[in-house]
Amino acid sequence: MPHASLSYVPVIADVLIGLLVLAFALLAFRDVARLRTGFSRAWAVGRITLAEAWNARIWAVPLLWFLICLILTFALVRSYGPGGEVRVDLTIFLRAQEILLLVYLGVLACLALPRERERRTLITTGSKPITRLELLLGKVMGLSAAALLMILVMMGATWGFMKVVDARIRHDAWVLYHLQKKNYDKMVRHLPPQAGLLYLARHGVLRAQNNITGRLRIAGYINYAVNPPIRALKGGSAETLYFEFPSLPATLRAPPLFVFHFGVRSFGKRRGPARIHVTLVQRSNPMNTEEKSLTLNAQGSAVWQPKKRFAFFSYVNPMTGRIYNPGPVVVKVASMTAGDYLFIANGRKPQDASCLAWNMDRTRTPGHTNFVAPKPDPIITGFKSNGKQEVVGPSYRHPGIPPEVASFEFRHLKRRQIPINKNGDFTVHLLVGVDKQMNEALPAKAQLLAYDVDNPQGRQRQVLRIDDKHITVVKLPASLLDGSSLVINLSSMIPGHWLKITPASVAIVRPPSPFILNLAKSELVVLCEVTLLIVIGVTAGTCLGWPVALLTTMVCYILGNIVAFVGKLSRQGGFGLLNYVQENRLKGVWYYQIGSLISAVMVKMLNMLVHLLPDFTRFDPLYFIVRSVNMPWTVAATDVFWTLACVLPTLALGYLLLRKQELA
Amino acid sequence: MVAQYSAIQTRQLTKVYPGFWKSQQVLALWQLNLQVLQGEIFGLLGPNGSGKTTTIKLLLGLINPTAGDALVMGQRAGDQNTRRRIGYLPEESYLYRFLNARQTLDFYARLFNMNRAQRRRAVDYYLDFVGLEPAVRGRRIGTYSKGQTRRVALAQALLNNPDLIIMDEPTSGLDPVGMLEIKGMIGRLKQAGKTVLLSSHQLADVEDVCDRLVILYRGQVELGGALADLLERREVFQLEARAVSPELQEKLIAVARGNGAQDIRTGRPRVRLEDLFKRLVDAKRQAEQPHV
Repeated sequence: MPHASLSYVPVIADVLIGLLVLAFALLAFRDVARLRTGFSRAWAVGRITLAEAWNARIWAVPLLWFLICLILTFALVRSYGPGGEVRVDLTIFLRAQEILLLVYLGVLACLALPRERERRTLITTGSKPITRLELLLGKVMGLSAAALLMILVMMGATWGFMKVVDARIRHDAWVLYHLQKKNYDKMVRHLPPQAGLLYLARHGVLRAQNNITGRLRIAGYINYAVNPPIRALKGGSAETLYFEFPSLPATLRAPPLFVFHFGVRSFGKRRGPARIHVTLVQRSNPMNTEEKSLTLNAQGSAVWQPKKRFAFFSYVNPMTGRIYNPGPVVVKVASMTAGDYLFIANGRKPQDASCLAWNMDRTRTPGHTNFVAPKPDPIITGFKSNGKQEVVGPSYRHPGIPPEVASFEFRHLKRRQIPINKNGDFTVHLLVGVDKQMNEALPAKAQLLAYDVDNPQGRQRQVLRIDDKHITVVKLPASLLDGSSLVINLSSMIPGHWLKITPASVAIVRPPSPFILNLAKSELVVLCEVTLLIVIGVTAGTCLGWPVALLTTMVCYILGNIVAFVGKLSRQGGFGLLNYVQENRLKGVWYYQIGSLISAVMVKMLNMLVHLLPDFTRFDPLYFIVRSVNMPWTVAATDVFWTLACVLPTLALGYLLLRKQELA
Repeated sequence: MVAQYSAIQTRQLTKVYPGFWKSQQVLALWQLNLQVLQGEIFGLLGPNGSGKTTTIKLLLGLINPTAGDALVMGQRAGDQNTRRRIGYLPEESYLYRFLNARQTLDFYARLFNMNRAQRRRAVDYYLDFVGLEPAVRGRRIGTYSKGQTRRVALAQALLNNPDLIIMDEPTSGLDPVGMLEIKGMIGRLKQAGKTVLLSSHQLADVEDVCDRLVILYRGQVELGGALADLLERREVFQLEARAVSPELQEKLIAVARGNGAQDIRTGRPRVRLEDLFKRLVDAKRQAEQPHV
C-alpha cells in the first residue's frame, strides 16, 4: 500500500495564494500605478475612519484597559518577589491590551465597509475620483492608525506604571538593605547585608538583558579523558536518556528491533549485570507507551523488539484506508543499577549511536539502509522539582561516586559580540538555587569547568561559593571563545547539596538594552497582530454584512491560533490522532463509507484552510519581556515581514472582491 | 455658433437588479438612449421607481450596467479621471454625521488631491455659495436641519468646480425659499457654462430651470425633447396687459369672436404662491437685519 501524505495540500495552498497575487497584479496594475497620487486620498479615507473610531469612543478603550489592569494587578499580584511581581504586572498589562485591541479593532474593521454601505456614505465617497484599492487601503490605514495611537497611549501608561512599581521595589530594597546594615553594625544581625538588595536598589527590576544563554544538558558523569568528552547516565538515579526517532518508516511490516550499546563503568561495588529500563513513547500521544527491562551483556549491549506495531510505527486511517506515519517516537532509557554509569556514544556517525532501530521487514527495499539512527546528541534529564532541574553533589555513603553535572553549551559565539575587559576576561553570571538536604550549615560550593569544545584539555576550573537565588559573577579568559563552542559545566561540591538549575542559570553577560525599547518591540508585535486582524476584518467586510464578517474574522483568528493542532490532525491521519479506530463490522456499510468520505474531505479542507490562514501563534509579545530578556531585532523584523507577507494576499483578495462590487 | 458636444451619452443602457431567483429580478432601466449636451440643463423626470436614480448611479459608475454603455465627458462611465470633472448631489444627503461642515468639505476636497490652501479656499467659498450660516459651520452635521444638510451636500457636489453636475432631487427637504435659491444657483451654474443633469419628480423645479428633458416610466423613455417645444400650446393665444378697462375687454373679446376665435376665456392672472412666499420671507429677513 503506498504511503499516503497530504504534502500536496500546502503546495495547492501556495499555488492558490500565488494565483491570487497574480490576479491582483494583472487586474490592479492601473490602480496600483495611481497610488503615486492616491495615498493622500487613501489617507483621507483613513482620517475619516479614524475620526469615526474616535466618535465611537475609542478613547475609552485605554481607560477601560487601565482600569481592568489595575483591578487585576491588585487582585492577582501577591508577594512573588520583585522579579515575579514585574513579570505578573507585565503579563496582565500586555495581555489585556492585546485582547482588548484585537476585540475592539476587529469589530471596527468588520464594521468599516458594511456600515458605510448601510449609511450610504459610500455613494457620496464613491462618486469622487477614488479607486476601490484606495478605499480599501484607507480603511486599513485608518484603523491601523487608531491601533497605533492606542498602543502608544497604552505603552506610555504601561511604562509609567512599571516605573512606579520599580521605584517602589527599589525603595523597599534600599530600606531593607539599610536596616540589615544597621542591624549588622549593631551586632543584632549575624549575616552581612545582602549585596543583591543593594544591586536591586541601584538598578531596579526593569531590565532587557542581552545575556547569552546556552543549551542545558545533564550528565551523571563526564569523561574528559577522551576528545570530545563523553557523557554517562547515572545508574539508580532519576536520570533518563531520551533517543528521539523523528520518523520511522510507516511501511514497516514488522516492528523494528532496537539495539542498545553502552560503555559500562562501575564506581561502586557491582552487584550483578547492568540493567536498563526502556520505554517507548509516541510523541503525539504520550499515553501510548510500551516498556521493558533489559539486561546488558558483557559488552554492554541489549536488543528489544516491541510488540505494538500499529500504535507506534504506522497507522491505517479508517476513513481512507491509507497508511500514515504517526510521527516521532521516543525511546527512554534509565539505568537501574546503582553505581553503574552508562557511557553514551556521541553519535558523530549514525551507526555509532547508542540506540539504533533495525528494520526487520523482510520485504524492505534492497539497497536501502537497514537501520534508522536517532537524533544525534541525545538528551538526559535528571531529577526535577518545580520545573527546575536539580543536580546532586557527591555522596558520603558512596565516596567514589562523582557529582552530577549540569552542562551548558554555547554554540556559534561571536567574540566581537561579547564585552571583554582590559584583563582579557569576559563575565558569566550564575543564578542557581540551592537545596540543602544535608550540611545545612555549610555554604554551597560549586565547581565550574569551562572549555572550548575544540580543546577540552585546556579547561579552566573554578570553585565558587553559591548564594541561593543570587547572582554569582564569574570572570573567564576570552581565549575560551576562540573555538566553535564554549561549554561550561557546573556541579555541586558539597554532599547533600542540590543545585537547582534552569537553562538561564548560566549566562554570558552583555550590556542590557533600555526597558522602554524592549517594551516598544513587544508593542510592535501587538501592532502587527492587530493590523493583520484589521486587514482580515476589512476584507471580510467587502462582501459580507457585518455580523457574518465578524464571524468570519473570529473563525480566522481561532483557526489561526490552532494551526499546529489542525495541521497535525490531518497530517497524522485525521481522527487516528485521537485514537479513533474503525469497527470492522461497519467497513462495508454504505452510510459508514459516505460518512468516512465526508470526514476525509473535511479533514482535507481544514488542512487547506490552515495553510491559507495566517498563523497567529507566531505573535507572542510577552515571550521576551516577561523574562526580562531583550527581544532581538531579528524577531521583531521577522514578525513585521510575516505580517506584511500575510497582509498583501489578504488585501489582494479584498481588492478583487471589491473591484466590481456595486457601491450603491 | 459654438458646436455643442455631448456631456452624457448612453446607448441601449439597461439595468436589471438581480434577485434571489429569476422571478425576483427587477428591471430598473431598459435600453435607454440619452444625449445631454454640454452647457445645458437637462431634466430626468418620472414617478418613483421610473429609473432616474439608477440612471445617475450608472453614469457615476456606482453600479454596473447589465447591458449597453454610457459615456460621460467622452469617457467610460465610472472612469476615475472623468469623476474629477463631475459633481454629484445624491438624492438624500449621505454625509458623515460626526463631522462638521468644514471637516466634511475638507475630506471631499482631499479626494480631489487639493493642497491645504486650495482646500481652505474652496471650503469657505462653497459654504458661502450655498448660504450656510457661519455660526453652524463648526457644528456636527448630525445636529443640522435638513435644509442645512442639503446645503452642505450641494457644496460637496460643487467643490471641485465640476463641468458636469448631477443632481438627484436637489430640492427635496428644502423650504420654498431654499428651493428658489437652489433654482437660482442652477441658473448661475448654467451661466457659468456648466452642464447640469437634474433628476426630479417635482415638475415645477424642472419646468423652471431645464432646457431639455426626458420623462421615464418603468425604465423606459416615454417622452423627450426641448422644454419649450413640449409645453407650448400652439393652438392657444394669450394676451397680457395692464390698465385694461371692462369696455376694452368687451371690445377685444368681440373682435376675437368676430374673427373666428373659439373657447375665449378671460380673467386676472395670479402670482405663484412660491413667489409670494419668497417675497414675504425676504421682506421679513430684511427687516430683521440690524440697521447700520
